[in-house]
Amino acid sequence: MTESAIRPDNAALIASVASVQDALGAQNYICSSQIATAVYLAWHLGKPVLVEGPPGVGKTELAKTTARMLDLSLIRLQCYEGLDEAKALYEWKYGKQLLYIQVLKEQLGEILQGAVGLKASVARLHEFGDIFFSEEFLEPRPLLRALREEGGSVLLIDEVDKADQEFESLLLEILSDFQVSIPEIGTVKAGAQKPLVFLTSNNTREISDALKRRCLHLYIPFPEPKLEQEIIRARVPEITEELRRQLVAFVQELREMDLKKVPAISETIDWARTLLLLHSEALEADLIKDTLNVILKFQDDIDTVEAELYSITGRALNRR
Amino acid sequence: MERTLANFIRALRMADVRVSTSETLDAFRTAEITGWRDRTALKQALALALPKTADEKDAFDACFEQFFRFDDFRSEGKPEDPTDASPDDDSGDEAGESGDSAAGGEGEAPGGGGGGRSSGSDAEELEELVHPGEMSGPSSELGQLLMAEDSSRLSLAIANAARDAKLEEIKVFTQKGLYTRRIMEGMGLAGLQEELGELGESTELPDRRLAAELRRRRDGLREQIRDHVERQFLLHADARGDRLREEMLRKVKLSNVEHRNFRHLRVLVQKMAKQLAAAHSRRRRVTKRGQLNVPKMLRRNMRHGGELVELAWKSTKIDRPKVYAICDVSGSMTTYARFMLMLLYSLEEVLPNVRAFAFSSDLGEVTDLFRREAIDDAIALTLKDYGGGSTDYGQAFEDFERLAGSALDNRSTLIILGDARNNFGEARTDLLRGFRDRSKRVMWLNPEPEMAWGSGDSEMRRYQAHVHQANVCNSLLHLERVVSNLLRAVT
Repeated sequence: MTESAIRPDNAALIASVASVQDALGAQNYICSSQIATAVYLAWHLGKPVLVEGPPGVGKTELAKTTARMLDLSLIRLQCYEGLDEAKALYEWKYGKQLLYIQVLKEQLGEILQGAVGLKASVARLHEFGDIFFSEEFLEPRPLLRALREEGGSVLLIDEVDKADQEFESLLLEILSDFQVSIPEIGTVKAGAQKPLVFLTSNNTREISDALKRRCLHLYIPFPEPKLEQEIIRARVPEITEELRRQLVAFVQELREMDLKKVPAISETIDWARTLLLLHSEALEADLIKDTLNVILKFQDDIDTVEAELYSITGRALNRR
Repeated sequence: MERTLANFIRALRMADVRVSTSETLDAFRTAEITGWRDRTALKQALALALPKTADEKDAFDACFEQFFRFDDFRSEGKPEDPTDASPDDDSGDEAGESGDSAAGGEGEAPGGGGGGRSSGSDAEELEELVHPGEMSGPSSELGQLLMAEDSSRLSLAIANAARDAKLEEIKVFTQKGLYTRRIMEGMGLAGLQEELGELGESTELPDRRLAAELRRRRDGLREQIRDHVERQFLLHADARGDRLREEMLRKVKLSNVEHRNFRHLRVLVQKMAKQLAAAHSRRRRVTKRGQLNVPKMLRRNMRHGGELVELAWKSTKIDRPKVYAICDVSGSMTTYARFMLMLLYSLEEVLPNVRAFAFSSDLGEVTDLFRREAIDDAIALTLKDYGGGSTDYGQAFEDFERLAGSALDNRSTLIILGDARNNFGEARTDLLRGFRDRSKRVMWLNPEPEMAWGSGDSEMRRYQAHVHQANVCNSLLHLERVVSNLLRAVT
């Protein structure tokens, strides 16, 4: 492990699972001990974490918060269909390379001064440093940048399931050995402090076994009512205790229904903020009806819930 | 501890959690970091390193709970005198349990003991036991362990003895008694029995108290070991049975599968489809049109001195192959057709352009039915609507030509599942030839062994000449192989 490179304040933060949990909590990210264990292990094993779970449970937020907690820079790579190495790994500064060729052409006479015949000229050219494919013309993209970051970084590869299968293979070298091979230059290795890597996936397709094997696998489910209340307390502290309990209970009721897209934590937080704006003290059916579009994103779902609104509200309010 | 973890991983693999060697190494390092003290922490940590899908997480949970259940040793083996109980484990549950075991011990220990004591002194012994008093120290190793009240050491000793007895190799449930005894012996039962015998000779009160207590604890221990063996049996042998059955079902001829196994087969087919889907989903191809990829083009043309000679294109294209499947669902083919349909149904995810047709004499398209209905209903309806008639391939090809003939193109693959037994009707090989010429690939899957092709009313030999590929296909293994090849070819 790379203990020597860890900043002393960070070493204390990640000394145990409990301290990680507390530190994340101090950054307003309230999480279960399972999540804290993942961060703790990822750090100590030097392994990437593949985070899966329904949308809106805080997968991306986990990486962001961890970066904040450890005071490391966050390098984010958003994946999409057609993402390739030129955008993820590195690219040559082709404009600069073209200019270099032109400059070289002009200088050619000077360089070859005194060389007689083709053979001697070529020999002279060989002596001349080959900088065409060198660091100067290299444009690092997120993955390479994360590797070269001094003092470590948090690398977030977001929604890796959106990228193509080929891209996963590209990631393998980085994730297992923390290095990148650039044919023209050689292998670039991570510095003393390896980046902490988070990959997130929404499960739109199965991630390949090879990638999974190299990662720790964290599944974040919807939170328990108690945890969700804690989260709301941390994120929207102004809201009253009673309203918080009610709205969490209501959202939990919705999650048990057969909806196209059930509300996630991010929606609960949005809703809490909405209710705060409206200066509401307690949940009422009419109020819910007016703000339902904050937590439900499909008209079908809104219709379904509206039809049963009174019974759901009743159940939610009686829930303890 | 390493062997325990290795055994645990073995159990996980039995429970269908795929654990690779590198993941095993991760698990060891994880365990090193978290340590073995805190069970929850260990579980959470291993849950990150070993299972990698939601299904596997569930299996892991169940497996872990079964495998690491040493905590229940704690409540037993405690002295019956409540004042002796340590103050920290006063939870109602545990106290109740310890009370139970104590009561059981009093009633059973003297009678059940194999030490050979005469029953006359049992009452006296009981009397002595009720009044706790001075007790001599045990001398045998196992006796000391039993009296030490150290539940973790005791469970460790059991686990060690179980390992030495190779408990993980237990295969059938009749072996449970054997393994229980072996483990007991491994823990030093002989020494304990000897000590019990000696104590029995003694007339000293403390000695006899010790003997009674030891006997009680020995029986408690036997109970615990039996439970341990039981759990390990469930963990190791049960899963192995499943594996065996699965293996068998894959190889057996589909027509010979017994009806009660259909349920298992369906699970298997779905599993297979899922694997195939994972292996073959989404292939991309760089196309030679669309937008120019300027950086790539400039770079590529550096070697030409910056003059643009070669073009590089930006767009890649997802290839969406089209698959047409024709299933013979006449009487003789029903069983095979059922599984073929099942697989086609399950494959819809991977291959969005699957069109399925069924016939015995008249052919009809069942694609919509597949999209609409649940798998069982869809297959049942297909068999009801089209099945049972006498086979007429000529008619079926004519219908297919009419329904989908014009849609066949160089991206289409046509699969025909049938035994080619045409009841001496018209073969219409000309139509089949036409299909072949227009599509990328035509495959014929025949459940009959190749020897039977062309015998009797089978037209297989003639049809074979007009398809790209003809295969025998009568078990799930065949089906899997064929479909995998198919997917590789079409995607």
